[in-house]
Amino acid sequence: MKLLPRERIQSNELGQYLDPPSGVLFGSNAVRLGAVQWIVAAVILTTIYMGLPRVWQWIEPLEITPDHRIPYSLSEDYWLYERYAKTVLKNRDIIPVVGDSVIWGQYVRPGETLSHALNKQTGKTEFANLGVNGSHPVALSGLITYYGAAIADRKIILQYNPLWMSSKRRDLQITKATTFNHPQLVPQFYPRIPCYDATVSDRLSIAIARDFTFLSWTAHLRRTYFDNQSLASWAIENPYANPLGALTLRLPQPEDSAPSDPIPWAEKDARSQSFDWVAPENSLQWAFFKRSLSTLQSRGNRVFVILGPFNEHMLTDESRAIFADIHADMDAWLVQSHVDHLAPAVLPSGLYADASHPIAEGYVALATFLLESDSFRTFLDR
Amino acid sequence: MYPVFLVVRNTRLRTPWLFLASYVFYGWWNPFYLLLIGYASAVDFVAVAFMERSQRKGLWLAVSIVNNIGILAFFKYGDFLVENLNAGLAAFHVGYAVNILDVTLPVGISFHVFQSLSYIIDYYGGKIEREKNLLRYMTFVSFFPQLVAGPIERARHLLPQLQGESRITSRNVTDGISLFVVGLFKKIVLADFLALYVDKVYADPTEFDAAALALATFAFAWQIYFDFSGYTDMARGIGSVMGFQLVLNFRNPYLATDLGDFWSRWHISLSSWFRDYVYVPLGGNRGGALQLYRNIFLTMIISGLWHGAAWNFVIWGALHAIGRMLTRELERTTFYRERVPRLLKQVFVFSFVTFAWIFFRATSVEHAWTIVTRIATASWTADPGFPLVALGLVASIWAYQFVYESPARKVLELAPVRIACVVGMMLCVALFASSGEQAFIYFQF
Repeated sequence: MKLLPRERIQSNELGQYLDPPSGVLFGSNAVRLGAVQWIVAAVILTTIYMGLPRVWQWIEPLEITPDHRIPYSLSEDYWLYERYAKTVLKNRDIIPVVGDSVIWGQYVRPGETLSHALNKQTGKTEFANLGVNGSHPVALSGLITYYGAAIADRKIILQYNPLWMSSKRRDLQITKATTFNHPQLVPQFYPRIPCYDATVSDRLSIAIARDFTFLSWTAHLRRTYFDNQSLASWAIENPYANPLGALTLRLPQPEDSAPSDPIPWAEKDARSQSFDWVAPENSLQWAFFKRSLSTLQSRGNRVFVILGPFNEHMLTDESRAIFADIHADMDAWLVQSHVDHLAPAVLPSGLYADASHPIAEGYVALATFLLESDSFRTFLDR
Repeated sequence: MYPVFLVVRNTRLRTPWLFLASYVFYGWWNPFYLLLIGYASAVDFVAVAFMERSQRKGLWLAVSIVNNIGILAFFKYGDFLVENLNAGLAAFHVGYAVNILDVTLPVGISFHVFQSLSYIIDYYGGKIEREKNLLRYMTFVSFFPQLVAGPIERARHLLPQLQGESRITSRNVTDGISLFVVGLFKKIVLADFLALYVDKVYADPTEFDAAALALATFAFAWQIYFDFSGYTDMARGIGSVMGFQLVLNFRNPYLATDLGDFWSRWHISLSSWFRDYVYVPLGGNRGGALQLYRNIFLTMIISGLWHGAAWNFVIWGALHAIGRMLTRELERTTFYRERVPRLLKQVFVFSFVTFAWIFFRATSVEHAWTIVTRIATASWTADPGFPLVALGLVASIWAYQFVYESPARKVLELAPVRIACVVGMMLCVALFASSGEQAFIYFQF
C-alpha cells in the first residue's frame, strides 16, 4: 500500500478557517435575497398571510345551528369567535348577548341558555349567544377589542358578573403568579396584571398574534385539528400521521350537553360563604368592564348591561351587606353614565347552580324578568 | 435600539451606544454578570497596556491567561474539580469533603473569555496593534449579537470594524435579513421540533429500544447543528444590518469527508481558536507522529472540556481525537483517497460524529453508556415513533446541502428558487411558532 508522508496531510488539521474568501463568507447556502427579491418575497408572503385565512373561511364550513354557541373545547379559538360573530351578525336585526360562562351557559345545554330563552319568549330569533366560557371582564375587554369588530354599530347585551370581584384572586390582583382563563386576551404589557407572569417573549408573541390574523388562524388550526398542540408536539404524538390529512375541514359542533351537572347549589354544598369582596373603585375587573363599555360605545353600539344575576342566597349576612353596597355603587355608576342596564332580582335559590350560574329554569325566569322590565323593552324597541 | 444606532453610527456616540446596548443585553440575564465581564475585559486591556511599555511582556501575558483561566476555572470548573477531589478523597478513605461551590454559570462565559484571550495573545505575538480605547475594547468583548454563543471573533477582524466608519449598504441589510430568516427557521422549525423527540428519549433511555435511541441520537446531531448554526446565522444577520461582518461559523458540517474537514466546517471560530492558541503552540504538525497525535489529543480533550465541565465532554473530545488520528492514517492510503466514494466517506464521518454526540448530549458518562449499550444490545424491532415530518424536513435540508455543494448548485442560485425557499421558511416559522420554544443549547457554554 502506498502511503503519503504525514506532513502532506495537514490541510484540514483542526479547522481550515483563516480569512475565508468573500464568496464563502456569506454561508447561508444561497438563501440570500437582494432588495428587489425581498420585495417580491414580502408581497408573496403578505398575500399568503392575508389571503389564506380568508380562503380558509370558504373551504371550512361553519354550520350555525339555532342556539349556536362556541364549542366548549374551542373557547380559546378567537379566530373562530371572530368568524362566528361576523357570520351570525350579518343579519342586522340580531342582538348579540356577550358575557362569560353565565351567558355561554356552563350548566345548561345550548337550547337552555339566556339567548335561547329570550328568543323563545319573544317568538323571534333575535338574540345570539356570543358568550365565551371563562371570559372574565379583563379578557372580555380584549375579546371585544381584538376579535369583536363585527359586533360594532348595533344593539348589544353585555353581562357583568360580580363574581369576578369576589376575591383578589378572581380580580387578578394577587401578586403571586397564578393561572387564569384567557391569558391571551389580557393586556400583555400595560396596564400590568399583577398575577400574570408570562415571559417578555410570550407576551410579545401574543401581542403580535392579535394583530396578525395569520397567527390567530394557525392557532385555530392547532385547536381544531391538532389537539390544541403545536404542529411539532402533535407530530411527536402522531409520528406517522400526515398533518395535511388531519385537516378534515369538519369543525366540532357545540356539544349538546352542559359541561357541568345542572344540580342546584344547595343540593351540592349548602354552606353560606363569605367573600373577600374588592370594591369597584379598586377592582381591575370592573375597570376593564368599563373599558369594554367605552370601546363598544365608541364603535356605535347601543349597550344594555345585565348586572348579575348573582346568587346572594349563598352569602353570609355580612358578605351580603358588603355585596349590596358594591352592587349599589356599580348601579349608581351605570345610572350616572347613562348606560341602559338592569340588575335582575335575585332568582329563587333553587335556580342557581353555583354563585352566579343559573340552571335552565333560572334562564327562563331571567328572560321573563328582562322582557317584563320597561328599560329592557325600551332598549329593544328603540 | 437600531434606529438610534443608525443615527449615532458615524458619530462619537457609536461606541458608547454599542457598549450600552451590549451591557444592557448581557445584564438582562443577571446584572452580576456585568461585573465579571467588565472586570475580565478591563484586566486584559490593562495587561496589554503594560505589555506595550514593559520588557517583560510574557509576565503580563501570564497575568492575563491566569486571570482568564482562573475565571473559567472558578465559574465553570469549580464544582467539577471539587466533585473529583471529593471522589479522590473518598477513594483513599479520607473523611473530609470540600463543599460544592454551587456557583451560577454566567451565560456565554466561555465565549467572551476566549475572545478576550485571543486579543492579548495576538498582541503578544505582534499580530495586532493595541486598542487604546477602553470602551471600544469592552464593546469588542461584549458585542451583543455574538456575545452569548459566538462566533468567537478575533480582535484583528472585529476591532477594525469598531474603529472605522460604519457603512451600511442595502446589501448589508438584505444579507442580514436573509441570514436572520435562515437562522430563525433552523431554530424554531427544526431544532425545537427535534428537541421534543430527543428530550423525550434521552430523559429515560431505559424506556426505549435501540431504534428509538439511535434515531434520537441522529435527531440530536441535527438539533444541535440547527440550534447552534441558527443562532450564529441570526447573530451574523444582526451584525450585518448594523454594518458588521461576523466570521463564518458553519459550512454544512455533515457533508464533511473526514474529521479534519468536519472541524473546518463545524464551529469554525472555535476550532480555529484551538488551532491557533493551543494546537500550534503545542507544536502542531511539527515533530514526529507521536508528537503530532499527542497535540491533536490534547487539543481535542481541552475542546471537550471547553464545552462542559464533566467527564462525558472529555470522552467526547477524546473520541474526536481518536477518530481524527484514525481517519488521518486512512487518508494516507491511496485506496482511501482515491477509491472510497465521497458519499461513503461522508456517511462514515456523519455516523462517527453522531455516535460521539451521545457523550455530548448525555448528562453523565453512565447515562451515555446506558445509551450506547442499549443501542448495541436492545431490540431494533420496537416502533421508535420518530415523526416522519421531522425526518422529511431533515432529509430535505440534507439533500439541499448536497445539491449546494455539487455542480447543480446553480439551480439553487436561481432567484425564483431562492425566493421560494424564503417564502417556504417564513410560512413554516409561522406554522411552527408556539410559546414553548427552547433556550439555545450553546447558551450553557
